[in-house]
Amino acid sequence: MTSRRLVGRYLVASTLILLVSGLLGILIRESQAGIARLDSNTWYAFMTAHGLGAFLGWAGFAVMGLAYWVLEEVGFELRPLGRFLAEATWWLMVVGVAGVVVSTLFMHFAGSWVFLYPLPFHGAGQWGKWATAIFSASVLLAGLSIVTWCLAVLDTVVGPALHAVKSGIGNRLGVALGLGYLWPKRFATNPRSVPYAVIPLTVIGIDMIIATLPLALLLVEMIVQAFSPGVHVDPLLAKNVLWWFGHPVVYLLLFPAVAVYYTLVPKLAGRPLVAGNVIAVAWAIAVVANVVVWAHHVYLDHPDGSAQGTINVLMQPTTFALVIPSALSLYSLGMTIYRSDWRWGVVETTLFLGLFSWLTAGLSGVINATIAFDKVVHNTLWIVGHFHQMAIVNIGFVVFAGIYYLLPNVYGKPIWSESLAKWHIWLTFVGVTVNSAFWLWQGLEGAPRRFAELPSGYEASTRGALPFVAMIGIAQILFVVNMWQTLMGAEPRPARAKGDGVLVAVEGLIMMIAVLLALGAGVVGFFIGRDTAPSKSAPAATTAAPTPAPNVQGKQVFMTAGCAGCHTLKDAGAGGTVGPNLDQRKPSYALVVDRVTHGRRAMPSFKGQLSTAQIQAVAKYVSSVAGH
Amino acid sequence: MAGTDKLLLVAYGIAVVLAILLAFALASSTRRPRRTDTEKLAEFEKRWLGIVVAILVALLAATIWFTPYGKSTPANAQIVHVDAQQFFWQLQPASVRAGTPVAFVTRSKDVNHDFAIYKGHRFVAQIQVVPDKSSTLIQTFDEPGKYTVLCLEYCGLNHQGMVASFQVTK
Repeated sequence: MTSRRLVGRYLVASTLILLVSGLLGILIRESQAGIARLDSNTWYAFMTAHGLGAFLGWAGFAVMGLAYWVLEEVGFELRPLGRFLAEATWWLMVVGVAGVVVSTLFMHFAGSWVFLYPLPFHGAGQWGKWATAIFSASVLLAGLSIVTWCLAVLDTVVGPALHAVKSGIGNRLGVALGLGYLWPKRFATNPRSVPYAVIPLTVIGIDMIIATLPLALLLVEMIVQAFSPGVHVDPLLAKNVLWWFGHPVVYLLLFPAVAVYYTLVPKLAGRPLVAGNVIAVAWAIAVVANVVVWAHHVYLDHPDGSAQGTINVLMQPTTFALVIPSALSLYSLGMTIYRSDWRWGVVETTLFLGLFSWLTAGLSGVINATIAFDKVVHNTLWIVGHFHQMAIVNIGFVVFAGIYYLLPNVYGKPIWSESLAKWHIWLTFVGVTVNSAFWLWQGLEGAPRRFAELPSGYEASTRGALPFVAMIGIAQILFVVNMWQTLMGAEPRPARAKGDGVLVAVEGLIMMIAVLLALGAGVVGFFIGRDTAPSKSAPAATTAAPTPAPNVQGKQVFMTAGCAGCHTLKDAGAGGTVGPNLDQRKPSYALVVDRVTHGRRAMPSFKGQLSTAQIQAVAKYVSSVAGH
Repeated sequence: MAGTDKLLLVAYGIAVVLAILLAFALASSTRRPRRTDTEKLAEFEKRWLGIVVAILVALLAATIWFTPYGKSTPANAQIVHVDAQQFFWQLQPASVRAGTPVAFVTRSKDVNHDFAIYKGHRFVAQIQVVPDKSSTLIQTFDEPGKYTVLCLEYCGLNHQGMVASFQVTK
């Protein structure tokens, strides 16, 4: 393969991004469970970096690299232009991700990884215009990287390996889209028809250009607006532009992953992909439907008198249409494995678990796609459960399968330990699946997503999921060790004899049960610990009558809870200037209780940190001494 | 949990069990590899497409009627004006009667918010609050008591603290 080094760089860079963004993910989940709490700015900045890093910088970037390998594998070599664009793509993505890291982890940008306009301009004093501008510019670079990748792919798929009879560019694109299977005369090929794996790559290559360009304009506007506050866009329009990109980008992950499945599964099953011409129907639907489903992300947006509700209704059937490529691909891939000589090595196992997760995560996706159901699950942790399962144990497993396949077969580096690789896969599979199941369940229980601190009532389920989060982390350590040894050329450890499917399934089940038992013990320990712990104070009631509290207690709260960091109050010797000067404002008792309890603008809520009595004490203290 | 969420839990649970059985069947079929008529399997894919389309059309036909759009405010509705702002809600008035519809007319002064009503931990209803526009959520409460309002669209650093409540009286 001539693109060995190129593909290798994509895989190395994306794996490094996985390790960093995965760690951030573990930190925000444990903080939510109250083990070591992050302050809310750090939490939301981590969430922003985790989302963009893991989604685009890991899964997206890795499958973009694997796509070049798929193309070469089916005879489509990158040509000089494609090679140049592929290089540019790598650099744009790496610089873009670096910019996201700088703007979030060092400049405190916490506008979330979907940076819903106009939130980036309302940082509540925690991040400024430069952070917003650098963040927007970084996402713009990542967006441009997607466009150059699309152009590289499109330049390659219309190359000489296409064997198209007519030479017009429209005709060649049609052939690459698989239309020759449907209209053999109009899109004729000779001698051989287009390989199936080329079709999803062509589809996403076309769609991502259409999807990304409007977002690029919005990002340019955001950079301008950071320095010229007079510039403004309609927020509802901006939201539509964001999701016009935001849904197809999900398929920037899925469709190249499908191309990898189409390539590897037949190879490992020892027979061609079981697919008829009908699979081309699925991709013809996909290329159109993919760019007209965006509004299923805004089903609950329907301002009075706007057309948004009508648009949303139209999106349910188009989203349903996108089930078809998945349903047909799952059928074809499943039937290719059916009764085949499937050897259940690490690559086979990974791909099989990936297909299973594709099915189960796809089914939870059908629920989100249905307006009547989305009313209940929208912006709850259900959504988070759905896409983590899809992104890690479907797309991510294609990436891991690709790495485990390419190392021995393309790079001539046999995997150091096949059994360690299987542990990596199984632990990741169990960890992600169970953690996602917790999220789905919490979502149905009404738990909101994107809460640095969940409302009370979800503590037990959040902590119950934590061992599985740890399991995902441990599995990646095994992966890193194995990769390190493999790349350093360590002598491979002897692999076990070939197992059959049922044996492997039973092994998996035993392993799962063992792991569950071990973790069950930890969870039981947690419940006992929680029930014997002193009960949490009830949420502060702002209307409660003031209870007499000595000023000394209120003063102590003022000095220790962080009030002095932002406010000036002579009696306490405080000289903070971020928030209002309390000596000048002389706030009333009720106002202090309200502000401390609920927060306002840059002022955080202290409800979770201070008890009702403490809030009342500090309010009594401040209202009595301010201005004296 | 009540109503739709319970239905989803049961339906999704059944679907996952079927998926697991399917995966086990497929895995065990590789135990004794056999020559298989893959042509026939490929031919059957057309019928599989028909089955998938039929299921999707049925689901669409059964659910598309239950959208929250285009509802006009009933004449007897109680109006509650809801103003959203980083990071608090203002509800005027903060008390409504059970049994008659309530129209929550929501507005945002800064960023996108999501007005979500809970009864304890039970989710009741939600609507996105878009800046520069008003969005109306119509809801009838049968059960009197205290209801909590949370923000479900990430709106900044104290998003999780954007909590309010209102009373439903008999």
